[in-house]
Amino acid sequence: MYKALLYKEWIKSRWYLAAALVVLVAFSAYAMVRLYRALAMMGAGHIWEVMVTRHAVFVEQMEYLPLLAGLLLAVVQFAPEMHRKCLKLTLHLPLSALRTTGMMLLFGLAVLALLFGVSLAVIVASASPVLARELVAQIAGMLLPWYAAGWAAYLFAAWVILEPTWRRRLLNILMSVLLLRIFFLAPVPRAYAGFLPFLIGATLLAASLVWLSVVRFTAGKQD
Amino acid sequence: MTRFSKLFFGLLVVVLLLWQVPWAVNYLTVERHATPFTLYSEVLNDFALIRRDDGGIEYADRRGNRYEQHQFDSLLPLFYARQLVADGRFPDSIGGRPVSPREAQAATFVFRATPQGINTPTPGIRFLMESMSGRVDLEMPADAFRLTDDGIEFIDMAANRIELQKSARFTETMRRKGVRFPVTEISGNPTTRKEYDEGYVLLDADRQMFHLKMVQGRPYVRAIALPEGVRPEHLFITEFHSRRTLALLTDDRNRLYAVCMPGYEVRRVEGVAYDPLRESISIIGTLLHWTVCVEGASAERYYAVAADNLALLDTLSYPLSGRHLPGLVFTSSRDNYVRPRMQ
Repeated sequence: MYKALLYKEWIKSRWYLAAALVVLVAFSAYAMVRLYRALAMMGAGHIWEVMVTRHAVFVEQMEYLPLLAGLLLAVVQFAPEMHRKCLKLTLHLPLSALRTTGMMLLFGLAVLALLFGVSLAVIVASASPVLARELVAQIAGMLLPWYAAGWAAYLFAAWVILEPTWRRRLLNILMSVLLLRIFFLAPVPRAYAGFLPFLIGATLLAASLVWLSVVRFTAGKQD
Repeated sequence: MTRFSKLFFGLLVVVLLLWQVPWAVNYLTVERHATPFTLYSEVLNDFALIRRDDGGIEYADRRGNRYEQHQFDSLLPLFYARQLVADGRFPDSIGGRPVSPREAQAATFVFRATPQGINTPTPGIRFLMESMSGRVDLEMPADAFRLTDDGIEFIDMAANRIELQKSARFTETMRRKGVRFPVTEISGNPTTRKEYDEGYVLLDADRQMFHLKMVQGRPYVRAIALPEGVRPEHLFITEFHSRRTLALLTDDRNRLYAVCMPGYEVRRVEGVAYDPLRESISIIGTLLHWTVCVEGASAERYYAVAADNLALLDTLSYPLSGRHLPGLVFTSSRDNYVRPRMQ
């Protein structure tokens, strides 16, 4: 049953995931092309200096990309369930509603982790030959909260989409927007330092909010 | 699970209310707040101030006497030396001490430090410039360095490769001069936009203070003797035009010291209490006095200090209004970290 459920999620999202992978890798590769071009034009000394003294990271254009990737994945996964009214059927599979919801979310979080992992790998592998490990860590330290925001956006979007009433949905949207702001407050790279593990933990707990929407849906709440 | 979900939802609502409501209230009720620009006058032997408000600019002293702008320039002849020289009003002597405009200008400096500059993540990569290249203009080096648990490692930036020979030479010299790794605190200002380079001041694993710079490609390391009982905490390299100081430092009791040159004599800046992790400091120094301003949470404290022996001459304090609704914040003007805290 789990396999079938995962296959269903895969069928729904495979084309989107392929597109997201291409876009994420393209942006990551572009960021590294910019870094290599800057190294060629300005020299390694200048680039190291601006990275140390002015916190340059060369990946700024990726800031909202993981967020968008997570948000769209939730739309691809859960909007058809609501639009075609098949969520009711999904929740009536011979599996508890909690496990069904959990599997769907786990699929989304796992594929997002894979997408973000590939993007990070492209960046780290490209930057490592030309930058000290501390500067590579500086780039990664800037990216990690943005990737976490991708997970958060996915879970919050699922929470909003599966919510059956518009009044509550608006409240969920407002809360989601404010909470997502927390991921974009870094004044300098690695600003989240010790807070990031807690933030990721809290993000994963946001999966429980999705269950709240499912409970309200199964209880028959509607506008 | 449903109960946990509801609890988590409630927790998020509380977090958002604690975060957004105080922020909105503070944002909407913010008041313009400006303490007067204050300097110690070598003519009055008291503080002179410039107040800015909606009515314009007011030049005054602590006793309440008002002045015109050109009169005020004459109260601070060392700070406004350029203006007085341009007007042909620069005095021959101040307080019986003969002073030349050149001497006055050479001794003037401004130093600033904020908690945000200290409480910030650093990449751990630094640059050691050549301090005596024989050229007038400074140049950034072709290598960077990192401090490790056992020494110092120079990295050729173009090749991204460790320079083994140079690293070994510097590590060996530092060890020979008494540095015990790992280095726990370091301060330097590697930029070409300064007149000269003094490299770094650092604290080793035993909190002993050292001066490190590169002179004609070779390491220069010098131990700096601290007064008995002083446990240094934070260092600030100065590199002022006058070269009369190498660095400022604070100790574990938030007392301020200056490393005076030549001779590396560490002298206490009398009376000044300054917590670098929570307070901002600015020092405007002239040939005769330093005006030290420490901005704390409840007051802006001014200290007038004699430039020659760093003895305390006078103090002044402006209380800061504390009308601020406390709430949850994720960022702070005191640091560059994102984390939840009540403020």
